[in-house]
Amino acid sequence: MSIIQAIQLSKHVVTSEGTLSILEKANLSLNSGEAIAVVGPSGSGKSTLLALLAGLDSASSGEVHLLDQPLHQLDEDGRAAVRAGQVGFVFQSFQLLPGLTALENVMLPLELASFGDARERARAQLDLVGLGSREKHLPSQLSGGEQQRVALARAFVVTPKVLFADEPTGNLDRATGDTIVELMFNLRAEQGSALVLVTHDQRLAERCDRVLTVTEGRLQ
Amino acid sequence: MSQVGISVATEFTLALRQLRREFRLPEYLVLIFALVLSVAAVTSVGFFANRVERAMAAQAATLLASDATIGSAQPIISAVRQEAQSRELVITDVIEFPSVILNDTDDTALVSVKAVGSDYPLRGEVRLKKQLQQADYAATAGPASGEVWIDPRLAGSLSIVTGDQISLGELQFSVAALISFEPDRAGDVFQMAPRLIMSANDLDQSGLLGEGSRARYKLLLAGEENQVDDFGEWVTDRDDANLRFQTVEQGRPAVQSALVNVRRFLGLAVAVAVLLSGAAVALSARQIAERDMDTSALLRTFGARSSSVMRIVLIRLTLLALIAIALGSIIGYLAQFGLSALLAQWFTATLPDPSLLPLVGGISCALLALAGFCLPALSKAVSAPVVGVLRRDLPKARPSAIMVVACGFGAMLILLSWLTRDILLGSLLVVGLVLVLALLWLISRALIAFAGRVRSPFLRKVLEGLRRRPNSVSLQISAYSVGLLALLLLAIIRTDVLNDWQRQIPEDAPNFFMVNIQPQEVPAVEAFLNTRGVTDQKLYPMIRGRLEAINDRPIGEGGYNNERSRRMSERDFNLSFQDMPRADNKVVAGEWWPENTNQSYFSVEEEFAEETGISIGDTLHFKIADKQVSGEVSNFREVEWESFAVNFFVVGSPAALIDKPASFVTSVFVPDNQAGFTGDVVREFPSVTVLEIGTLIERITGILDRAALAVQYVFAFTLAAGVLVLVAAVLASRRERFHEAAILRTLGASRRYLARSMSREFIFIGALAGLIASTVAAVLAWAIVEKVMSLDYQFNLLLWVVGIVAGIVGIWIAGSLASRPVLRQSPLAVIRSQV
Repeated sequence: MSIIQAIQLSKHVVTSEGTLSILEKANLSLNSGEAIAVVGPSGSGKSTLLALLAGLDSASSGEVHLLDQPLHQLDEDGRAAVRAGQVGFVFQSFQLLPGLTALENVMLPLELASFGDARERARAQLDLVGLGSREKHLPSQLSGGEQQRVALARAFVVTPKVLFADEPTGNLDRATGDTIVELMFNLRAEQGSALVLVTHDQRLAERCDRVLTVTEGRLQ
Repeated sequence: MSQVGISVATEFTLALRQLRREFRLPEYLVLIFALVLSVAAVTSVGFFANRVERAMAAQAATLLASDATIGSAQPIISAVRQEAQSRELVITDVIEFPSVILNDTDDTALVSVKAVGSDYPLRGEVRLKKQLQQADYAATAGPASGEVWIDPRLAGSLSIVTGDQISLGELQFSVAALISFEPDRAGDVFQMAPRLIMSANDLDQSGLLGEGSRARYKLLLAGEENQVDDFGEWVTDRDDANLRFQTVEQGRPAVQSALVNVRRFLGLAVAVAVLLSGAAVALSARQIAERDMDTSALLRTFGARSSSVMRIVLIRLTLLALIAIALGSIIGYLAQFGLSALLAQWFTATLPDPSLLPLVGGISCALLALAGFCLPALSKAVSAPVVGVLRRDLPKARPSAIMVVACGFGAMLILLSWLTRDILLGSLLVVGLVLVLALLWLISRALIAFAGRVRSPFLRKVLEGLRRRPNSVSLQISAYSVGLLALLLLAIIRTDVLNDWQRQIPEDAPNFFMVNIQPQEVPAVEAFLNTRGVTDQKLYPMIRGRLEAINDRPIGEGGYNNERSRRMSERDFNLSFQDMPRADNKVVAGEWWPENTNQSYFSVEEEFAEETGISIGDTLHFKIADKQVSGEVSNFREVEWESFAVNFFVVGSPAALIDKPASFVTSVFVPDNQAGFTGDVVREFPSVTVLEIGTLIERITGILDRAALAVQYVFAFTLAAGVLVLVAAVLASRRERFHEAAILRTLGASRRYLARSMSREFIFIGALAGLIASTVAAVLAWAIVEKVMSLDYQFNLLLWVVGIVAGIVGIWIAGSLASRPVLRQSPLAVIRSQV
């Protein structure tokens, strides 16, 4: 069953020097539980593709269906509603809220999706990533690897149908990055989530079911 | 789609959780301090001003002996009395009329009788003496039946001492005391023969008032302000020309202008404090909004709707407002206690308790400041692109300039107009701000262009901050200038207004009026005054007349601007004549008549002219001693009624009035021996009436002194708010400075180099902000002092010196203190925190 389907997806931006094509007529289909890696050089349009597939941005033309919902026909709030409780994210820069503790950061997507037992589930998820004893720490009191583990707990706590990961090891050293990748793939395997992984790391890309390459806005 | 929205409880939890941790951040602290400060300023001054105004009103009320009066030429009808009593107002009667008394040796004297109820006076006190040389004391009630209190002049002229009997009408009275101070005497100084106060209970038996007797009836009223006001409306609604309702503020021009100016000035000082706090709120909101953009994008990434995120922001702002209101109100309430204690010795009576109204002011102020200065920035943060979670390089979304300006200025206009109780003054301040900001924008743009081209190494160093952070530096210059401008403006107006008040009632203000001087007595009176060291007195002729028509429009046929103008035109009033214009009256329209003219001209006081609809060139028709006198209006004069000099609404050319029956009047300053002066005048010129106004002036000066103290107290709040703006402006650029300093230090710059570089920048910003602020403050002060407060303003170069020095010193100190952490922080920590 297809979880994501992109048809003739394009993104253009207007600059002072004319219209710039960032993504050109991309077609893509992702099945439930499937993992794809999107690779390509910097500025090739990988992150734009991820943003469009996740409904974080709107396409200039084309269609995106996420979890059977036509994102291209929805406004921003409609797209947010599709993501709530069903989609997980892991970012290169972790994106933890600096004012919230590790536990509170993990609780956030549960609360936004109106889960009743947010605290217990978040606590259990933190235990799973090995940070049960650090739940009251603020992001600034955690190392980069720990912050990314909190981010993984936050991503998987809702048992997402699909996980979007944007360079999840980009800000980490190799050893820490490897640990994070292991953790991410293990959690994904346990929960059966589909994965869209944007990365520069060929080794990492090869762990996915398929590898797609974006070059100058074109998906191959 | 699995959800339809987050519950309010979850939104509340999220808002509270975020606020609990973030409110310790500098930008939140500045925001809270700014809000607390504005609430504290509004409420403390509100509470205190409320108490002072109530005390002042009560004291000023002594000039009416009540909170309000109803005057009539006929006895006050019982319906009015009943209505007043049903509204729980305290009432008492006063009936005034002229009469003649006889002493036991059958000497006679004209007296102005005042028959009073037993509760007289309702406000203030009558002070009495048993003998002239004794100390006076306060009367506890009106005179008892069968007793009278008399003017000491009567005691002198009729050789009466307390305990003597006098006859008045058909009754004999015992003189129980001499009157030392009579609160409501000031209103009718020119018509007064020596005073005699008797009990109203004796009136009927005395037979003094028969059918058609000429008397003035007054009902004195006292009660809560709103009750008195409501009753005033009730009286006005009756539309009875015989009833004239008068409050303290309408009663005496000098007291009225003092109270209005006090209220306005306290309001202005508070407004400036609130405005500065608003600037600090706006600066911190900008930083909070930047932080909120990331939070908002992340929340929406995880499925929150924009409306939910907006509600979370609103809940957070409301919580902040509640904290600030609670803290600010407590501080405000405590501060007014401190002030009252500080000023206790200045008040003869205990200050009344404040009303709760200032709390409403504080709450409204905090909410308005947040809505006007904070919400536009935060609401924009809510709609920041969600894709920002992936792309850190996206430009920060800023609210539209029009939105920020419209909300900010809208809030300012409402706040300032409300706090100064004057839309014109509020609008002038807002216009001033718009001009300042426009000017600052132009100067910043010019400097940025200049900074790019400058060759001189010294100037390049001075301007390097501007080159690196043009927007941030422009913002700081704006904030500093606005803060300095407000402080300078307040200082100028404070000095000017206080000086003017003091100037209006100078140390040597007249302390005696002399009226009823007969023409043949003028040379003798002048000679007598010379022997008392009074040499610059001027005796003015005074002629009683009634205005009958303006051009062909008879008086009484309507067309007046208001009820007051109708009464002013219809009553008898005093005219004078003079050949040359007086130095203390300013001709503001038309021309003074030619010297020795044989034409009939009139000069009219400008406000009287405006209210009665008289124009230059109109012909006025007066009836004076049954004869018609007509003349053309040749000019309007501006008169300072507060000066206590003798003044007239209408002055004629000698040709118009010189042959009419006149008495003379003067006001003089007698430095010493005032009691002796009165007695001597009465003995030498028995028909001349001497009125001592020194006591009245002392009271009014006392009121103004207290006002000045209150104003200085408020000034401290404004100063604190000004400092807060400076700190907020430095904090606003701290993140950039941290980053910049970390990079420079990584590249090898020493702390000393960084400190010098920052000092240069602060001095430059301070000097520029001082220059702009002084210039705009001078222009605005001129507009406010001359146009709104109708006082004189003089430009002073010292203002620029003070402005620039204050700008440099203040900003250098505030900037250096706020930047110390920047120099202390290790580059690694800074660079890490930027990730």
